[in-house]
Amino acid sequence: MRNPSLIKEEFLKRWIIALRRCTSLKKNMNILERNKVVKLSADLAMASARNGTTSWSRALIANATRDNDNRILAEQILGPESEILVKRVSTMPFKTCNRRKIRSKRILKRSCSSAIRRVRKTVPRKVLANCIAKRLIQKRTHILKSLVPGGEFMDETTLMEETLDYIAYLRVQVDVMRSCTYC
Amino acid sequence: MDMGGKDKFELENRNEDPMNYAPRASDFGFGVANLANTSIGMMPTENPMAVSKGDLIGSSSCSSTSLVQSFGPTLWEHRTNSENLGFGEVSVQKIQSTSDAFGIRKGDSVSFRTFDKTFDMSWNPTSSTLKGDIFSPNAPVMLHQRLPPFPADSAFIERAARFSCFNGGNFNDMVNPFTIPESMSLYSGGGGMIQGTQEAFAGNSLKPVSGAHSQENELGVGEASKDVSLPVEHGATEGSPLKNERNSHSLMGSRDEAKQGIGGSGNDSDEAEFSGAGDQDEPSLLEDASWEPCGLDSKKRKRNGQGTKIDIAKGAPQKSGESAKDNTEIQQKGNRNQASTTNRNSGKQGKQGSQTSDPPKEEYIHVRARRGQATNSHSLAERVRREKISERMKFLHDLVPGCSKVTGKAVMLDEIINYVQSLQRQVEFLSMKLATVNPRLDLNVEGLLAKDTLPSRVATSSTMGFSPNIPMVYPLLRPSQRGLNQAGLPGMGSSSDLLQRTINSHLTTVIGGFKDPTQLSNVWDDELHNVIQMSYGICAPPNSQEADGSLPPGKMKVEL
Repeated sequence: MRNPSLIKEEFLKRWIIALRRCTSLKKNMNILERNKVVKLSADLAMASARNGTTSWSRALIANATRDNDNRILAEQILGPESEILVKRVSTMPFKTCNRRKIRSKRILKRSCSSAIRRVRKTVPRKVLANCIAKRLIQKRTHILKSLVPGGEFMDETTLMEETLDYIAYLRVQVDVMRSCTYC
Repeated sequence: MDMGGKDKFELENRNEDPMNYAPRASDFGFGVANLANTSIGMMPTENPMAVSKGDLIGSSSCSSTSLVQSFGPTLWEHRTNSENLGFGEVSVQKIQSTSDAFGIRKGDSVSFRTFDKTFDMSWNPTSSTLKGDIFSPNAPVMLHQRLPPFPADSAFIERAARFSCFNGGNFNDMVNPFTIPESMSLYSGGGGMIQGTQEAFAGNSLKPVSGAHSQENELGVGEASKDVSLPVEHGATEGSPLKNERNSHSLMGSRDEAKQGIGGSGNDSDEAEFSGAGDQDEPSLLEDASWEPCGLDSKKRKRNGQGTKIDIAKGAPQKSGESAKDNTEIQQKGNRNQASTTNRNSGKQGKQGSQTSDPPKEEYIHVRARRGQATNSHSLAERVRREKISERMKFLHDLVPGCSKVTGKAVMLDEIINYVQSLQRQVEFLSMKLATVNPRLDLNVEGLLAKDTLPSRVATSSTMGFSPNIPMVYPLLRPSQRGLNQAGLPGMGSSSDLLQRTINSHLTTVIGGFKDPTQLSNVWDDELHNVIQMSYGICAPPNSQEADGSLPPGKMKVEL
């Protein structure tokens, strides 16, 4: 979609800056800490690159800033513009209101599934196949939602868009990291 | 729009018996179905008989006969392959011909009134004969083409034909349209004035109107004129901005939404009010316009086999058109509705109900309620939603490797999930690797940039000399790359400089004690290089470098 090399450069820049900031804070980190830092900085770098335009980036930032432990680090990484981003993220009210929807949906699903089980025997094959396909899709959508950050609260269309974006981001991240390790 | 042309071709390719003409006629959509066509169409069909019988029509005025005569030869000329759709049919072949006939037509508007009467008189006797004659020679249909300016649209003509075919004597309704020529005459300003007339009508008739017949007639005229214009592809020239908007909508964007078939509009009522026929086009156009803003409106536009009403938003004219009066017509409408399900890019047409005729090839995408499906907003919105999703899946096809053969949502989702999971795992793994390989988490920016710009992996031990300020500590070079450093320098220079500068600017506040590591970096460099030389494998370096990584801090402590 977008130019991958441009994204790469952007990501690399931000990541390096973030890493530097992190390491300046704490010089002697053990490997686990470093790992965490690396991941966190990469995530935040990319998320900030999106500037809060995509939902998954906002979710990433929100997750990162939620824990107090991470918060300081994250804010450091994000730098001066972090305040703006954090504000933008926090103003997203989607999580709470969607939870109710999800709960009600689950209740509905459970009640429907029990009804479907009863009907299954009497139903012709085509309908059955349709049902099965639908269920498969539902399950997989659910899994995908768990994979994409912030995806649980999205509807399907936005989920697909976010997935697209997220995949592009992951690719860039992998490429950059790989080249980092090999250079 | 190409629609008109396509419609014509469709019509031409069909063989129908009078029963089926309705579907075909519906396909006209905006075909050049003129009042004139219907009225004159009947006339010419009659004329051969009439002439033989004594020229009933010509009695009204000699001009009429001349008209007929003038039309006759022309029609015969042009009439090559149009099918005989019945006298109601509008062979929408050549719109240009209409313009030719226009000049003639104008003057003869008066004569049409007389034609009405003559039709009345001669209708029944000639209808049967006409039918027989119509289907064979296809001549009378040709006349339609040349009878331009009358804004009767195909739907109207269908209806007219229907009336003649099915309701033998139900002529009152038929007559109504013929009064339109009067109004036509009022508006028509001159030759080739279709657009002008349309504009006039459009201005008058676009707004929702009460069910007043005259109003409807006017609207119908306006609509019909619209119809004429549309096939002529004068969409842009349509007077009303609304029309333009609609056209633009339809042309640009309403691909997402299925428009209710123009055939549907053609299906519109049986009413003798051909205004309904005219209205159909407008509603359909309006549908497009209103479609864009909210897809949910589509539900209202859907027509089931029962001919559900058109959206109120479209305006009264539609409503008037909608009231189906004739059961047979309703049936036909239903058939046509089902049949004329408009094209959908997503190819859902196939699922739609019985298709006796090809769907009209219109430029808009119509969201249609399929036969037997609910027409409420939910299902329609759902369908729109599904389309969006499938659209995005197509994008994902490109992103996710190895998905070219995959079709179907479930499998595609599976692939996507696998891919995302694998990417996430890779990121995790690489970050771990970086964390171990790179104890101080410094990155070789120049090396990375070089990789982007140059295919060879020119790492940058040379960067050390490059910009001593920058704490680019230890380039994790591959030994093979060292030789390339010098060669790679000039190439990398600019990009790495830029990057360094940007990073410098960011880091000036933070750097502080960064200069210390440079001293140590040399020490580490050697160790790391050794490690790297030992094994390029993934597993090996972490182990070895862990040990190494632990050393330097110790060294640092000692030194400090």
